[in-house]
Amino acid sequence: MSDERFFISESDLRALAADLLGAGTEVIAPVAVDACASPAAMASSECLRPGMEPEHLEYRSLTDASQLDLGRGLPVLSLKGYFLPEHEALCRWKQKGTTIEIEAVPTEFAPRVVLAAKPCDSAALAVVDEVMNWDDKDELWNGRRAATTIINLACPVVDESCFCTAVGAAPDAVKGADGLLTPVKGGYVFEAATGKGGVLLEAHQARLSPVADALTEAADADNANARAHVAANLDIDAGSVRDWINTHFEDPLLASLAIRCNGCGACSSVCPTCHCFDIVDEEEGVGRGTRRRCWDTCQAPTFTLHASGHNPRDDQHSRYRQRINHKFSIYPLRFGEVLCTGCGRCTRVCHAGQDLVEILEAIDIAARRPAEVTP
Amino acid sequence: MSETATGAQTSDGTAGGAKVTAGVKELREIARTLLAEGDVRVIIGWEAARRGARPVFVTDPAEADRLIFDARCVHNLVTYLNPRRDHVAELGKIGLIVKGCDAKAVAGLLREAQLTREDVVLIGVRCGGVLEENEMPAAVTLTPDNVAPRCYGCDIREPALVDHLVGEPQPEPPRPAQTIDERIAALEDKPLEERWAFWTEQFSKCVRCYACRQVCPLCVCERCVADKTRPQWIEPSPHARGNLSWNITRALHLAGRCVGCGECERFCPVGIPLSLMNRKLQQIVAERYGYTVGDDPEQAAPIGDYRLDDGQEFIK
Repeated sequence: MSDERFFISESDLRALAADLLGAGTEVIAPVAVDACASPAAMASSECLRPGMEPEHLEYRSLTDASQLDLGRGLPVLSLKGYFLPEHEALCRWKQKGTTIEIEAVPTEFAPRVVLAAKPCDSAALAVVDEVMNWDDKDELWNGRRAATTIINLACPVVDESCFCTAVGAAPDAVKGADGLLTPVKGGYVFEAATGKGGVLLEAHQARLSPVADALTEAADADNANARAHVAANLDIDAGSVRDWINTHFEDPLLASLAIRCNGCGACSSVCPTCHCFDIVDEEEGVGRGTRRRCWDTCQAPTFTLHASGHNPRDDQHSRYRQRINHKFSIYPLRFGEVLCTGCGRCTRVCHAGQDLVEILEAIDIAARRPAEVTP
Repeated sequence: MSETATGAQTSDGTAGGAKVTAGVKELREIARTLLAEGDVRVIIGWEAARRGARPVFVTDPAEADRLIFDARCVHNLVTYLNPRRDHVAELGKIGLIVKGCDAKAVAGLLREAQLTREDVVLIGVRCGGVLEENEMPAAVTLTPDNVAPRCYGCDIREPALVDHLVGEPQPEPPRPAQTIDERIAALEDKPLEERWAFWTEQFSKCVRCYACRQVCPLCVCERCVADKTRPQWIEPSPHARGNLSWNITRALHLAGRCVGCGECERFCPVGIPLSLMNRKLQQIVAERYGYTVGDDPEQAAPIGDYRLDDGQEFIK
């Protein structure tokens, strides 16, 4: 049934979420977190202004289907954390004398469903799948991927920092996902993209109805509009960018990108594709502890600090170049995929003004129209 | 770098939404002269970019017209004088544009011998407050609803310590809808359990990106305690223990040093209200030691000053 498209009303979509929750399936979806709800009200001065309702969207595990936010905004953090948590135990140990007991962690997970995922966030999972299955197979990542059915919600384009179409993604793409919802009058056009998505649709057939041609045409037109809209934000040739970076390591454009950069890892934290982690042993009492992995970032000096004290990337310029190089050249050369899905979060979160749209445009000009490069 | 959205001046005398006032003209003239005469190698100020005002590093006198100053110029650029910024120091002698509050951070670096006054040229801008949110196409008039809460109570219209001073005299910033002190007081009215729940929830959001530390003009340690592994003082995992440990340690290390610029809170990608902690510590230091952080580098801070009559009733 994967080629078929159906209609689902908004109430039926919520009922579908409720059915899943009722059956004990975890449902992850965007939730408008009321930044002004107790006890966090004091957190935000926004909450104190009459008429202002700060919209703060997060992917959350639903406790009730009514929480599902279908407003198509961009959650603060990507879906990444549901597959590579900010921190997770890899094993636990107990040591007595020379006897060490290792307690493994489960690598199989209960089935769960993500509803209304951003297409840029699901696409990122498919991109990161490559490195997670490169030499070692990452059991925790793969276990969560296998257990999860992801249904995207077509995106209307968030703002001028979006550029998914420039890096091989699209606002209505199903890359990394199992199905797609596109808003139409009165509800959504709902289609499966994989067998897993087909199973979900089939299990909830009662909520679906045939879709009128007029609605699928409207859905296609809206999605085409969104693609054109986002394409206007940034027009680069990712292949030229990849090859130019690969051959211009010392070029001033790459070597002096980070003058205003603070070297924090906020861009990596919010990035759906940044997947580097650190492994730490945390003692939890005498002779026992947990080995954990937690998110790490190439923007931190300690990321490459050698035991000798030498640091091959010892200034922020070289660390920022690494970020650009890895995403747009190293990863594509190795895996054929750009390690970026154009969500724009890094740009929005950077109050120092590091602007990936601007940087990619500059690299693209250097690669394809060198005559226009200002000396 | 292509300058798609920066520097282009339009016929109505604005550049990227920034009004070119007499003060801005003067600012650009001073910057141009300093660069042209070789007094400095780089001017660090603000420019109007695609997403609003942002820091700019001008090295060519011909590019001095990129500089702007309006209520969107929120950033405390003194962070670029921080000795951790090797890649900025490499540019050579810096000319830095400061607001009144920013000059307090300069004083902090001088007080702690992290900066030599002669190594920097300071250009002061008269400031009547800045916006809480600077990412907008043009500056708007300050109101109680949009002013940065930290501007409330600011008594410095003219920055101290500067070599040049530009701009028209400015009015007091408007009073924000609720001041930081009022928010602290409201929080303190809650029972202990609720306050604990509040901070637990706030710290649970922390992803340990360390943006708060990286942007802080006064986080000067070459190797932060959070990065030390032998012993591991602070657990690097962003779980409850690690996050509590990091956030409390960061705040305490800034006690009596924090100038209240609020950059840590502004840069926090998950919105932890760090200003509440920083301000509370300012209140405690004021109460305990009669010390308010100011723009006089000669005024010793309690952390670097021992007095026989220091209160010690809390040592039990």
